[in-house]
Amino acid sequence: MTHDNDQLDEPLHWGAAFFGWICPGLGQIMLGHRRRGFLAMTGVLGLFLCGIFIGGVDCVDRREDPLWFYAQAGAGPIAFAADWANSGLLKSGKVGELIESPPSNPRAPAPLVSSFKTVTVASEIGTLYCFLAGLMNIVVLLDAIKRRPIEKDESNEGAKA
Amino acid sequence: MILAIVDPISFLGWIPFLQPAGALGNLWWLLMFPLILGISIAYRATHDASIDQFWQRVFMFVSKSILAMGSLALVIYLFVYWVIPNL
Repeated sequence: MTHDNDQLDEPLHWGAAFFGWICPGLGQIMLGHRRRGFLAMTGVLGLFLCGIFIGGVDCVDRREDPLWFYAQAGAGPIAFAADWANSGLLKSGKVGELIESPPSNPRAPAPLVSSFKTVTVASEIGTLYCFLAGLMNIVVLLDAIKRRPIEKDESNEGAKA
Repeated sequence: MILAIVDPISFLGWIPFLQPAGALGNLWWLLMFPLILGISIAYRATHDASIDQFWQRVFMFVSKSILAMGSLALVIYLFVYWVIPNL
């Protein structure tokens, strides 16, 4: 109980949370928990990069899959970079070709989609990986907000001693 | 059944990071393992008070998660292919 009260008295580290969003795990590293931060970074970035590797950059699409993207954005600027790559490379036709797909409305012109866009299990699983990377980074951020800086721990222990 | 699977030809034209991986066949569920590994690394890095024996704890987390999902899959398989046809 005393431990809980101590934790409630701790200041919130919003700066660490912000830098943790910029790069997963950076918040913990800033607070002195280097190993913990690098491990969290490995987990979150590993999930995100695996997602892009398996499903391609089309897994992250701010315009077509906004609900997925809200959670994927939790992984930080890397999600926006993937969305930018999707728009700039695939959707613009710079990589691959733009081909007509059947329109949902027969009177509307056929929309153009990238020849690299597919609806496969790999694409869905890649989206899921990136989604979970974003959610796990939010867990990591919440941990950084409440985590006690390591220098402070050491000074407290010194005071007790 | 499991060996019916991956078409290696479909991977030849695959451009990683730009295209989805080729046809994974019946082996798509194997992608569950790296997914659980990534989640468990991030979770264990923040959840535990101490990160001593980190990789042992990650291994236990991954094992338990796979066991739980495997058991659930088995129960659903038996329900769909055995219980329902015999109702």
